[in-house]
Amino acid sequence: MIDCDIHPQIGDPEELLAHVEEAQRDWFRGQPYFGLPGYSWSHPSSWYRQDLSTDGRPPGSDVEAVQRDLLEPSGTEVGVLNADDAVLVSLMPSPYRAAALARAHNDWIREAWLERDDRLRGAILCPAQDPEEAAREIRRVGEDPRFVQVLLCGGAERPYGEPRYLPIFEAATELGLPVAIHSGGEGMGIAAPPGGAGPVTFYIEWHTLGSACSIMAHLVSLLVHGTFERLPGLKVLLIEGGIAWLPGILWRLDTNWRALRTDTPWLERKPSEVAREHVRFSTQPLEHTDGHDELLWEMLEAAGAPEVLCFASDYPHWDFDDPAFMLKRLPESWRERVLHENAAALYGERLGLVRA
Amino acid sequence: MSEWHDVGSLADLRRDGRVLARIEGREVGVVFDQASGSLYGLRNRCPHHGGPLCLGTVRPRLTGQPGSYALAEATVIRCPWHGWEFNPSTGACLDEPALRVAVYPAKALEGRVLVDL
Repeated sequence: MIDCDIHPQIGDPEELLAHVEEAQRDWFRGQPYFGLPGYSWSHPSSWYRQDLSTDGRPPGSDVEAVQRDLLEPSGTEVGVLNADDAVLVSLMPSPYRAAALARAHNDWIREAWLERDDRLRGAILCPAQDPEEAAREIRRVGEDPRFVQVLLCGGAERPYGEPRYLPIFEAATELGLPVAIHSGGEGMGIAAPPGGAGPVTFYIEWHTLGSACSIMAHLVSLLVHGTFERLPGLKVLLIEGGIAWLPGILWRLDTNWRALRTDTPWLERKPSEVAREHVRFSTQPLEHTDGHDELLWEMLEAAGAPEVLCFASDYPHWDFDDPAFMLKRLPESWRERVLHENAAALYGERLGLVRA
Repeated sequence: MSEWHDVGSLADLRRDGRVLARIEGREVGVVFDQASGSLYGLRNRCPHHGGPLCLGTVRPRLTGQPGSYALAEATVIRCPWHGWEFNPSTGACLDEPALRVAVYPAKALEGRVLVDL
């Protein structure tokens, strides 16, 4: 089993700050939560699974906790560590602070996590508001094969197909790294508002709309800008934006592609076909269907499932998908692909995983 | 065996870009490509949604690399309803290979426009 979305928590701020360059360390130390933008919409009780023992630290804030809570009981062979709130570096007003924090976080991941369990892999955090600097960071960290993807935040100033972001995708493609776009941060810091109809009121709205809408926007943007035509080797993994909407948005996009092709005449193939080749989706949070799972599977098949789906748990968050539960819920013929094969193909040689 | 039918006057075709006629129960049109002077005979019904295809525009298809625009050599007729584009010579839909509109030989003769059904 390969888990594409595990969130390492920062248990001891000084452990991370030790990796920040000295001249900036005091600034980060003096800011609330490292100067990352704060949440206007917070979970009403807890962001975390509340059954996890924490000893005053956030759940999932050290390797032992991840081993005990997730890797051991599920038999996970590979788990990819995606920055938690630190993914919001891309929404900080200062690209210089963002770059410093991203560098520190990548080095902290390497030292505090990857060195301590060879089942763990890293995602390269980078400051998307400064794409050239982001590309430098991807090339710096990407030399280490234990980093298997680039990580971007769903919240963004503009959708990621915009040409300003090309250096990020070019660097990732050059290194054979997929780019993971993880929902979150919508409407925070310098990000555009969530949902497309102005700021929402409640966390339930933000969590329902913000994450899905940003992921949809990035998907459509990357497709219509011809990003995959520019970079035929590029793979993108969209994380935690939901998936039940996928066939609908692709049908809608294909329809518009035929009708509105003069806007984007470089698109010679149906966007849905390009998406099937280049884009993968995390399963979590797999929508609850009120007993109509068979409809969900049928819809998703129309959008390329099971080949386009990769398992993710989202540990240690409140809405995580338990691997054992998912194993039972997925159609039997999908399990091997979704839980292992698709991610193994996505990450390729960097995974260093040889199965008998 | 050819059976040429009169669709309208050449003057109307040049002025309006198309002439239309109902022939043997079918709405047929001849459209005019201003750039090349070519005439194309087509059924005036888009196979996508039933729109009046011959009321669409005849022009070079747009192409390009991501972020840049260019005119292709291919000429297309663009349906006025949803914008789907067809090769006016073959009837093939360039945006949905499964679709095709009926096309007919067309010519101008002594100031009249004719199609062969």
